[in-house]
Amino acid sequence: MSHSIDGSRNSCALHGALQLIEAIDGVVPVVHSNSGCGFQHFLGVNRASGSGVACGSPPVSSSNVTEKHVVFGGSSRLREQLKNTVKVVDGDLYFIVSGCSTEMVGDDIPAMAKEGRDQSFPVVFANTPGFRGGVHHGYQLAARALIDQLPELRTTHPGTPGKLVNIWGIVPRQDPFWAGNLEEIGRLLEGIGVEPNLLVGNGQDSSAWHRVPQAALNLALSFWGEAPAERLAELYGTPSLVFGELPVGSNSGNLLRAVGEQLGFDPERTETFIQAEEIRLHRHLAALADTYFRAGFQREFVLVGERAQAAGIGTFLVRTLGLIPRGFVITDDLPDGQRELLPHAFGDIIREFGARLFFSEDRAEIAEIVRELKPGLVLGSALEEGVAREIGAPFLKLSFPLGDRIVLDRACAGYRGAATLIEDIGSALLAGSR
Amino acid sequence: MSEKKGKHIAIYGKGGIGKSTTTSNISAVLAESGYRVIQVGCDPKSDSTTILRGGNDLPTVLDTLREQSKVKLEDISAVGFGGVLCIEAGGPVPGVGCAGRGINAAVELLQDLKVFEEYKPDFVLYDVLGDVVCGGFAVPIRDGIAERAFVVTSSDFMAVFAANNLFKAINKYAPSGGARLGGVIANSIQAPHSRPLIDDFARQAGVPVIGYVPRSMTVAQSELYGKTVIEALPGSEQADVYRNLAKYIDESHDSVIPKALNGPELKKWARSWGDRIFEAETGVVQNMESI
Ligand SMILES: Nc1ncnc2c1ncn2[C@@H]1O[C@H](COP(=O)(O)OP(=O)(O)OP(=O)(O)O)[C@@H](O)[C@H]1O
Ligand code: SF4
Ligand SMILES: [Mg+2]
Repeated sequence: MSHSIDGSRNSCALHGALQLIEAIDGVVPVVHSNSGCGFQHFLGVNRASGSGVACGSPPVSSSNVTEKHVVFGGSSRLREQLKNTVKVVDGDLYFIVSGCSTEMVGDDIPAMAKEGRDQSFPVVFANTPGFRGGVHHGYQLAARALIDQLPELRTTHPGTPGKLVNIWGIVPRQDPFWAGNLEEIGRLLEGIGVEPNLLVGNGQDSSAWHRVPQAALNLALSFWGEAPAERLAELYGTPSLVFGELPVGSNSGNLLRAVGEQLGFDPERTETFIQAEEIRLHRHLAALADTYFRAGFQREFVLVGERAQAAGIGTFLVRTLGLIPRGFVITDDLPDGQRELLPHAFGDIIREFGARLFFSEDRAEIAEIVRELKPGLVLGSALEEGVAREIGAPFLKLSFPLGDRIVLDRACAGYRGAATLIEDIGSALLAGSR
Repeated sequence: MSEKKGKHIAIYGKGGIGKSTTTSNISAVLAESGYRVIQVGCDPKSDSTTILRGGNDLPTVLDTLREQSKVKLEDISAVGFGGVLCIEAGGPVPGVGCAGRGINAAVELLQDLKVFEEYKPDFVLYDVLGDVVCGGFAVPIRDGIAERAFVVTSSDFMAVFAANNLFKAINKYAPSGGARLGGVIANSIQAPHSRPLIDDFARQAGVPVIGYVPRSMTVAQSELYGKTVIEALPGSEQADVYRNLAKYIDESHDSVIPKALNGPELKKWARSWGDRIFEAETGVVQNMESI
C-alpha cells in the first residue's frame, strides 16, 4: 500500500550515488537531470549531514534539463554538459549519474559515457533515478558502476597481494561519522597487518578503486556492502566477509579476529594488538567510574538509526557500558526478508532485555514510539530532538540528519570511536542532570 | 467550455485503423457545411491533415518549438480544404524523448497562443495517435480539453482491444472532468461478420455505434490525389457515409461513460466470436443478422 512518510531521512538513489562519488578525491560527478535533483542533494543531504560542504552554490555539474529535453530527449544536453565539465574541472574520472526525468524519457546515458571515453576522457555512468530506490541503493549502484566499468579504463594500481581488504557498506554522509569510522577501522586493520582499502574519505581517490580487483578480501560492514562484495566474488572470485554491524569497542576485536583468520594471519599477533586496544578502553572505563554513578549512566535508552549502527552501538552500550535497552528503531529501508536477520549478539540483547524492535523511517511514527517507551536517554537523528525534549530525556545526535551538529573526523566505531561515544553520552547525561 | 471556443472532439483508435482519414473527411464535411474547423494531429508522424492540404509540407508545433522560442500561429498552421485550419503537434525523433509529454506541450502552446479564442472555431478535432499507451496520450481527454471522444475501430481483435483500452481511460478520467465517449465509428467494414461483431462489442460496453464506413477503393484513390473523399469524389456513396457521420457529430450531443471489459471478459468475448466466424466460414448455419 502507498503511504506518505513524514520527515524522511532516506534520500533517493541519485543522492546515494552522489554521496559515494563526492567522497572520492578527483572523481567529478555530472548529474543528468532537472536542476532540482542536484540542488536537493545539496540542501537536503549535504547541508544536513553535519560534515563539510564547500562554500557557495552546490558544487556539482548538472545538465539541468527542462521540458524541451524531456520532449526531444536530453542526450545532446548531456553531451554538452560533459564537454563543458571536462573543460572546467580537471578530474581523474568523470561520473555521470541520471535522475528520474531523464530516465523516464530514456536518454541513452551509456552511449554518452562511451562518447566521452572515445574522446579519451575517463567517463563512467550509473542509472540512478530515485524511482529505482533509496539512498543506500544509490550507493550500491555507483559502487557497482565503478567495479564494472573501471577495469575498461585500464590503469593498474597493484596492492600488496594477500593483504588488501576492500571495505564496503558505510554510506558517506548517510552515516554522519563515515569518515572517522572508516579511518578508525582502517587503523585497526593496519594494526593486524592488513592493507585496508577504505575507498572513500580522506585522500581516497580513483586509484583506490582501481585496486579493488586485487583485494584478498571484501569486507561488508552493513547489508548495503554485501552487493558490491558479491559482485566482486562473481567477477574475480574474491572471498568476502559479512560483518553486518558497525564494530564498536570490544566487538572490533571480533572483527579483527575474523579478518585475520580469513587471511591466514598469525593469531597471536592479532591478539597482541587487540589486547593493547582493550587495555586502553578499560583504562577509560576505570577513569569514568565516578562519573558513571554520578551521572547515572545505567539507564534505559532508545536508539534510532540504521541497522548496522543500531546493532554495533547498541551492543556496546549494553554489554560494555551496562545501559538498558528499551527499544531500537531501524531506519534504513531493508528489503523484505532482510529485516529479521539481526546480528547474533544484537538479537541476544533484544531477547534478553525484552527490548522492542521497530522498523520505520517516519518521523511522526518514531516520535510516537519514543513517547510511548519514555526512555531515560534517546540516541537518534536531529528529527528525534523534539520528542526527546518533550519527554525530558537527555539526547545524543548520532544518525542522519545531524542538522546542527558538526562532525569532521570523529568516529563512533572501533576502539577510539567507543571512547568518543562514552564522552558524548557522558556529556549528554551530565548536561541533562544539571 | 465557453460557447465561442467551439466543440472539442478527440478521435482515438489503434494505429493504422483509419483515424486520420475519417477525421479529415469529417472536418471536410463540417467545413463544407460552413463551420469553422480546426484539426489538430496529435501524432509524431504528423500526417493527420495531409489529405486536407493536398499533401503539402507543414512544420509541426514541436519542430517549431525546438527551433524558435517565440512561436506564432502562422508558423504552425496551414489552411486546408474548405478553410479547415490544419495543425500538426509532431513529436521527437523516433526512439528519443517523450512523445506523450510532447503532445502535452503542443496543446498547451495552442492554449497559450489563444488559438481557440481568436480563431473562434465551431469544431476542434484532435486526431490522436494509436492506442492510449500512457498518460501523455490521454491528455486530450483529460482535464476537459476535449468534451467528447470517438473511437475508430475495425472488426480486427487488436483494434477492438485498443478501443477497449480507450474506454478504460475514459472511465478513469470522465468522473473528474475528462471527456465522455460520443460513440464508436466502425471502419473498413467488409467481411460479413464485421458489423455484427462491432455491434456486439459496443453493446457489451454500453456505447452507440454512430456509423459504419465501408472499406472502399474511393478512399485509396482520393488519398493518392492527396485529397479527402469529400474533395476528390464528392458524389460518391462513400462521401455520403462521411456526411452522415459528420451530421451525427454535429447534431447529437449524447455521450456515455463506457463500461470497459476486463482482460478475461475480453478474451472470452473474442473466443466466442472466433468460434462463430469459424463456423460461418465452414458453412455451419447460424443465426447471424447480416450473413
Ligand atoms: N474505409 C476505408 N477504406 C479503404 N481504405 C481506408 C479506409 N480507411 C482508411 N483507409 C486506409 O488505411 C490507411 C490508414 O489510414 P489512416 O492513415 O487514416 O489511419 P490512422 O489510424 O490515422 O493511422 P495512424 O495510426 O498510422 O495515424 C490509409 O492508407 C487509408 O487510405
Ligand atoms: S527522486 Fe528523482 S527527481 Fe527526486 S531528486 Fe531523486 S532523482 Fe531527482
Ligand atoms: Mg493517423
